[in-house]
Amino acid sequence: MRKTLRIAKREYGAQVRTKGFLISLILAPVIMSGSLIALAIFKDRVDTTDQVIAVMDHSGIIAEALVEAADGRNEAAVYNEDGEKVRPAYVIDIVEPDTANTSMQKLELSDRVRDGSLHAFVEIGPDVLHPGEDAVAYRVAYHSENSAMDDARGWIQHPINNHLRTLRMAESGIEESEVGNILWWVNIEPMGLASVDEDTGEVKGARRVSEGEAIGAPIAIVFLMFMLTMMGAVPLLQAVMEEKSQRIAEVLLGSVTPSEFMAGKVIGGVAVSLTAAAVYVIVGVTAMKRGGLAEFIPYDVIPWLFAFLALSITMLGSMMAALGSACNDAKEAQSATMPALMPLMIPMFTLMPIAMQPNGTFATVLSLIPIFTPTVMPMRIATPATIPAWQPWAGLAGVILATLFAVWAGGRIFRVAIIMQGKPFKLGDVVRWAVKG
Amino acid sequence: MNSVEIRDVTKTFGEVVAVDNLSLDVPAGSVYGFIGPNGSGKTTTLRMIMNIFYPDGGNITVLGDSAPGACTDRIGYLPEERGLYRRMKVREVLRFYGELKAGRSINREVDEWLGRMDLSAWADKKVETLSKGMSQKVQFIASVVSGPEVLILDEPFAGLDPVNTDVIRTAVLDLQEKGTTVIFSTHDMSMAERMCDFIFMIFKGRKVLDGTLASIQDEYGDDTLRVSCDGGGGAISDIKGIAKVNDFGQTQDIRMVKGADPQDILAAIMARTAVKKFEVTRPSLHDIFVRIAGPEAREAENAEDAQNS
Repeated sequence: MRKTLRIAKREYGAQVRTKGFLISLILAPVIMSGSLIALAIFKDRVDTTDQVIAVMDHSGIIAEALVEAADGRNEAAVYNEDGEKVRPAYVIDIVEPDTANTSMQKLELSDRVRDGSLHAFVEIGPDVLHPGEDAVAYRVAYHSENSAMDDARGWIQHPINNHLRTLRMAESGIEESEVGNILWWVNIEPMGLASVDEDTGEVKGARRVSEGEAIGAPIAIVFLMFMLTMMGAVPLLQAVMEEKSQRIAEVLLGSVTPSEFMAGKVIGGVAVSLTAAAVYVIVGVTAMKRGGLAEFIPYDVIPWLFAFLALSITMLGSMMAALGSACNDAKEAQSATMPALMPLMIPMFTLMPIAMQPNGTFATVLSLIPIFTPTVMPMRIATPATIPAWQPWAGLAGVILATLFAVWAGGRIFRVAIIMQGKPFKLGDVVRWAVKG
Repeated sequence: MNSVEIRDVTKTFGEVVAVDNLSLDVPAGSVYGFIGPNGSGKTTTLRMIMNIFYPDGGNITVLGDSAPGACTDRIGYLPEERGLYRRMKVREVLRFYGELKAGRSINREVDEWLGRMDLSAWADKKVETLSKGMSQKVQFIASVVSGPEVLILDEPFAGLDPVNTDVIRTAVLDLQEKGTTVIFSTHDMSMAERMCDFIFMIFKGRKVLDGTLASIQDEYGDDTLRVSCDGGGGAISDIKGIAKVNDFGQTQDIRMVKGADPQDILAAIMARTAVKKFEVTRPSLHDIFVRIAGPEAREAENAEDAQNS
């Protein structure tokens, strides 16, 4: 054990004392969360240039109402209380439809959008008031450079629909003042579940759940596990390959057994990951507390995160060290790295389905497959949904068994492969070494 | 008492028998030289003593203990190809290797050895900044810094200049004086002749020589003449009674045909050319090595195989 710990100490020091570790410790979360930070910084920095929107109204009943609605919006929403312009004004330009040559007219308007004199143009079908069987005849089409992500498109559908509703009621002889709040639109608020306060025994009311909480926490978990595994387990493949190719392994094997050698490397990797995790968790919790987000800190996830992290690095680290021992050069190590990263990549690819349905069959099954458990189970726990209490424990038991197997098999592979030089290894060789030792 | 006892040890790699039923005793406090052509099994044998390779058959006892790996911490090992962490500082890497074996802080020993090898100024430099000779000396220190009772050196002098060769040789002999058993492999026959108490030659996995230099030379008899004559080897090679001439330029080593008379050969040489020096001697280790593993031996072996088949 003394020798194992001495190797672990060197491995830990070799990684933690490098500038690369410090840089990755700081830069990795910055890069990972860069888009979110950028969104927060730039969310209010919108282009306030007025946007001219041409309207080709084949129905002849909408365009004027749009002009009126745009004026009302421009008056109410373009300037803030300090008189500062914070949004673009929408300027509606009514264009008489050229029924003889609609295509040519749409091309001309498109060219105007391209040259910047127009922001967009809207084509309103003739049957928009009373949609019939011909979908084109009642369609309202919004044309712009990026129509799918255009804020103006989101706004314009409200005055069009409001005006159509008013017209339809008038045709039916209903006065809008008579219907009162019959058409009142309500938002449905996302709420959690009620629970019992453990201290007082009283029923606690459910609290409002934000989209950020539902998606943000699982994203943070999956990226955290990815980064920490990249710091603790993945470098072992390269490190062991280098020790083998530079004949350091032979010197070490003159002092320690292959098992002590591999165990030392893996323990060093686990220590590196736990160090980084502790830094991230302490910094993250402190930042959230200072930012007034203390209620969103998922304290219940943190112990699970550390438990799964330590096991995950041990399991994956053993596999990485075993693969590294089978590689003779950097090229082979590179080829072996990609398949070895699958336990990390798959949870990233499946992040959204898991976050949206954390208790769905897919998420449940994936979280109980040991190589994915360390990432997927904390993701599920971090969502606002309540995970059945037995599942994290079952996942933990599975990961412990898988880790023991990985250490055992990895040790057998390592023992044979670390002293072999020459030909590139094949998957069959690795399996044979694991089985026969 | 023997420091290392090897009994009927065999090691195969796939179809290749690297070491074939080898038995060997290395007396305590001796310097034992392992010689043999490349790929003959020297390094495999050394690795088995180090418990890096496990024998397929037979057993190896080191310092009286035959349990595999039991005495690893009491053996220093310098592998054939140097293995140092390039990005670590010299002092750190030596402490690491030394502490693995010693199980205690060895700062004092590291500094002493660095001073002795004239490397104190490089102690805090990274290994990657060292020259090849310096790296080799650092690797040597790594093998001895924990104070091993048995020291195994695989090609310790390969690639060293004469000054560094002397430094390492002196250090090895000093260790032997203090009681360390030294086993080293080498291709430098003159170094083996000068340094070793015992010489062991392995060829195609089998032991072909084992004993003191004198006993080995006795085995091959006084069939060698060392002459220095005008015209070199070309002037004398066809003289009756001469089996082979090894021409070293200034001197020529002559192997006589069995039963030939040295005086007759001297007379024949003098009849042809001027002789500056003439000596009846025993074959050198180099000559014995070539007789066993050289082209003539291979041709003889091939001929024997053809006859048998």
